[in-house]
Amino acid sequence: MATQALTTTVRRRGRALAGTGGRTAALFLVPFFAVFAIAMIAPVIYSLVLSFHSQQKSGLGFGEAKTVFVGVENYVQVFQSETFMEGIARLGLYCLIYIPCMVGGAVVFALLLDATVAKARKLFQLLVFLPHAVPGVIAALIWAYLYTPGISPLVQALQGGGIQINFLDAHMVLPSIVNIGVWEWTGYNVIILFTALQAVPREILEAARVDGAGEIRAAVSIKFPLILPALSVIMLFTIIGTLQLFTEPNIISKATASVTSTWVPNLWAYDAAFIRHNLNQAAAASIIIAGLAAILSLAVTRLSSRMNKS
Amino acid sequence: MKRRHLFAGVAGLAASTLLLAACGTGPSTSSAPTPTEDPSGSITFWSSLAGMDKVAEAFNASQDKIKVSFETIPNGANGGYAKLSTAITAGNGPDVATIEYPQLPQFVSNSQVIPLDGLINKAETVDKLTDETKALVQFGEKTYALPYDAAPMLMWYRKDMLAKAGVEVPKTWDEFEEAGKKLKAVAPDSYLASFNPNEVAASAGLAWQAGAKWFGTEGDSWKVGVNDEATQKVASYWQKLIDQKIVKVTQAYSDEWSLDLANSTVVGVVGANWSATGIQKRTEASGQKGQWIAAELPNWGNESGAFYGGSSFNVTKSSKNPAAAAKFVEFLTTNQEAIKARGNTGSAFLAFPGLTPVAQQAYDASYFGNDIYSVFDKAYGTITPGWQWGPNWDITNTALKDAYGKLTTGGTIHDAVDTAQEATVASLKQNGLSVTE
Repeated sequence: MATQALTTTVRRRGRALAGTGGRTAALFLVPFFAVFAIAMIAPVIYSLVLSFHSQQKSGLGFGEAKTVFVGVENYVQVFQSETFMEGIARLGLYCLIYIPCMVGGAVVFALLLDATVAKARKLFQLLVFLPHAVPGVIAALIWAYLYTPGISPLVQALQGGGIQINFLDAHMVLPSIVNIGVWEWTGYNVIILFTALQAVPREILEAARVDGAGEIRAAVSIKFPLILPALSVIMLFTIIGTLQLFTEPNIISKATASVTSTWVPNLWAYDAAFIRHNLNQAAAASIIIAGLAAILSLAVTRLSSRMNKS
Repeated sequence: MKRRHLFAGVAGLAASTLLLAACGTGPSTSSAPTPTEDPSGSITFWSSLAGMDKVAEAFNASQDKIKVSFETIPNGANGGYAKLSTAITAGNGPDVATIEYPQLPQFVSNSQVIPLDGLINKAETVDKLTDETKALVQFGEKTYALPYDAAPMLMWYRKDMLAKAGVEVPKTWDEFEEAGKKLKAVAPDSYLASFNPNEVAASAGLAWQAGAKWFGTEGDSWKVGVNDEATQKVASYWQKLIDQKIVKVTQAYSDEWSLDLANSTVVGVVGANWSATGIQKRTEASGQKGQWIAAELPNWGNESGAFYGGSSFNVTKSSKNPAAAAKFVEFLTTNQEAIKARGNTGSAFLAFPGLTPVAQQAYDASYFGNDIYSVFDKAYGTITPGWQWGPNWDITNTALKDAYGKLTTGGTIHDAVDTAQEATVASLKQNGLSVTE
């Protein structure tokens, strides 16, 4: 029985290889596209429909609301909202601080790891990755504790050294949240870059060494250019991830009034949906955020492919 | 006519007739569910209140027609209302929900809770309530909830610290400021209370006490007055307290807030009857037993007060068995067994007459330095009439909370209430409501 089954499969596969590659591929792809359609395409279409409509009430607002088509009005309202634009600007500033710190840190760590001796490497790899193993919410809670004046051993130690700093005031809270992000994500990206470094042909490095390049020169002139493709992947993930910034500011907002309910665009959308009960506006805001992510990803991909070519 | 005028005057719902008219444009009232004499079946109940699982169990044990399954949900500050509202809209909400008074009108306005008229025994429930508590659950002469607790706003003090400062319990806000100054003189690092940007309902209560009316109806439109005259007075007063470092700006329930109470940095709490357990939990380990006392809120010259918090129980639109749900709501809000079953979970003060003594018996108040329930009683009798919650409290709540964020960087409470007023008016208009200022 078993042999028979085996031969049938083999035969079937043979036939598939011979002429119906498309059908087999389709069979394997169906599960992905089914889930993709249900979990991704359908919600996007639903949001798009929502974003062009509006729930209109009248007078005192008691009684059923009417759904009316309003065209791009929701989008106009989102773009006209001062708090939304402030959120975008804040996110821009966040990226300006976060991306160089995190990506720069990851590159340096990865290069250092690659240069160290094999034994210590495993340990450091683990240590660097460890923060990423802590779930985002937990990390934010721990950092909120470390930032709160009067409780935090960190603030206390700084005070002991004569430095008065409030990590949670209106000016410091952005860098404080950047710090959480850097702490969480550097290790993860180190692993990606480190894997890319492993793939760098050893003979090239040896040749460089023979030519007299030291570790630093080899890292800067040979390893770094060779991991640029991996770096562009990281940039892509980072930008998409950053646009979705939500958890950290949401948790920190419980510890300080400096983080408002519309602090970043995603919080703005949440606020619109569940606080102001304006699902249509929230849908418009979400589409805008998604659009922004698409444009930025496209820009990054274009830029990196040009860089890789040159 | 006379009765209607009386109702409007007392309950502060001047537009009840218009509300009724507005409702009249919808489906006619004849489609209202008819009361079932003996409802049965299974229902679900969502609440974030402690001990409600035990209450549901007690109800299930007391009869065998209706079976309640209970689910704990996060409280409002942690997304409880977002969950509830989304679930009801999606049609898979609970049969019975817990909604605080400020949020109730928005659930009514979004048609997410149904009127209980015809489902409940009015004579045995609503009719026995005081006008102030009725006003919290009735809109347009329909009853949308039964009130659970009626939470009088209070001040909690450390009596040893007041004694150290050489002051009596402040009776007026002037005396409160004086007490704060005297406290500063003997303990420069101490604050008489904290101002909590994340507790906007407390700001509302303080304004309410002073006679502010943040929301009201005028004809067919909402009148919004988040920065009205009385509120301005309260805002200036608290700004003065902040400037003189008599009160400290901290987020309520944050780690910093808890630590301040434990280490005597802050020696008073603007709260309500339900604050007792929170205070005890945070200060017990620091040996402050017997030092905390409840006191009526200081006033502006005349005895006056406000409600701060409190929840109601409702039947949601997604309920497939509203009759059974209403029966359970009656049990929750009027039956002594429901209060007993909850046990020693907190110093509840209940809206329905005759229940508070039961709650008092279940609660161990020995931690406190005075008879807190007699203070609750007194405070309950001085609620300033005429307050009404608006059609979407969450808008005002977040707007003011956000504006308070600037308090630590040079902003004032004055600016904050102005900003909150603008934001509330703008958002309500965006939803198509008619608003006047």
